[in-house]
Amino acid sequence: MMNLIILLSVVVAAGAVLSVQAAINGRLGETVGVLRSSLLTFVVGAVSTGLLVLFFEPAHAVSLLDVPKWQLGGALFGVVYMVVMVAAVPRVGTAVATVAVIVGQLGMGLLIDQFGWLGNPAIELSSSRLLAMVCLGLALVFMYRSSVRQG
Amino acid sequence: MQSSSTLEVGAVPATAVSPGLRLLLLPLVILAGMGLSVEAGLLGPLGGQVGHLWATLSIFGVGSAILFLLLLFSGPQRGPAFSQLPRWQLIGGFLGPMYVVVLTLATPHIGIAMTMIAILSGQVGKSVLIDHFGWFGATRKKINAERWLALLLIVAALVLIARG
Repeated sequence: MMNLIILLSVVVAAGAVLSVQAAINGRLGETVGVLRSSLLTFVVGAVSTGLLVLFFEPAHAVSLLDVPKWQLGGALFGVVYMVVMVAAVPRVGTAVATVAVIVGQLGMGLLIDQFGWLGNPAIELSSSRLLAMVCLGLALVFMYRSSVRQG
Repeated sequence: MQSSSTLEVGAVPATAVSPGLRLLLLPLVILAGMGLSVEAGLLGPLGGQVGHLWATLSIFGVGSAILFLLLLFSGPQRGPAFSQLPRWQLIGGFLGPMYVVVLTLATPHIGIAMTMIAILSGQVGKSVLIDHFGWFGATRKKINAERWLALLLIVAALVLIARG
């Protein structure tokens, strides 16, 4: 239980870092364009992770070249996401787009957990999980309403 | 990986678009969101096999390569060179790896759904703060009761999933 709490707070912190990044990149994207700002993010990310790998990663029996190729496809989804958002946000508005993304994220997250897809451990869909989804749905409605009023 | 922006519930007003197109776009956006969960779902097991930093490197490596090609073939870009911008605007790239590493570490232990909700609460909490105080050059937007309520509900969801 203690471990769970620590892990959860780390993940919450990662989400906070992500929104700092979104704020910084949002400004950058306005001036240099989405493609260039994303490329900068990814290149800096790759270079800094590469350094970390060189100095801190212990040796593993399996390398990236040995795993099935579909396991390496994660980045494709990230880039598709970015392109879709760039196309959709000016047309449907940020708030609506965000709500739609989260609906997709959580729905798919529940499905992957439920069936243990992609080699993940299966976690059954319980009533408290469903209740949590209802809370989130309500939260999104409130956020949507507040940003519509301010926008 | 949501490296550019995920949760900026901001005030970009929708331009006039026919309702039909909007309805067509929404499923596309939902699919894009589903892709993010698939990405997290791929990362966890991958990191378990080859190491979390390697898994992260694969995301950023492949992403950089694709974006480089996209940029190369999309023609000349407008706007100033990176060297003309204030330094702090360039550090966004250091924050992304933290997020991806945490994603790879956490999903095998707490599941995709809980990871996503925890990320969400961190994002919403921080973005409400950023909007409220106008940090990083964002437009100031006061926190109102509805945003507080939304934040509370998200935390409640987190607790519910953690206990279930």
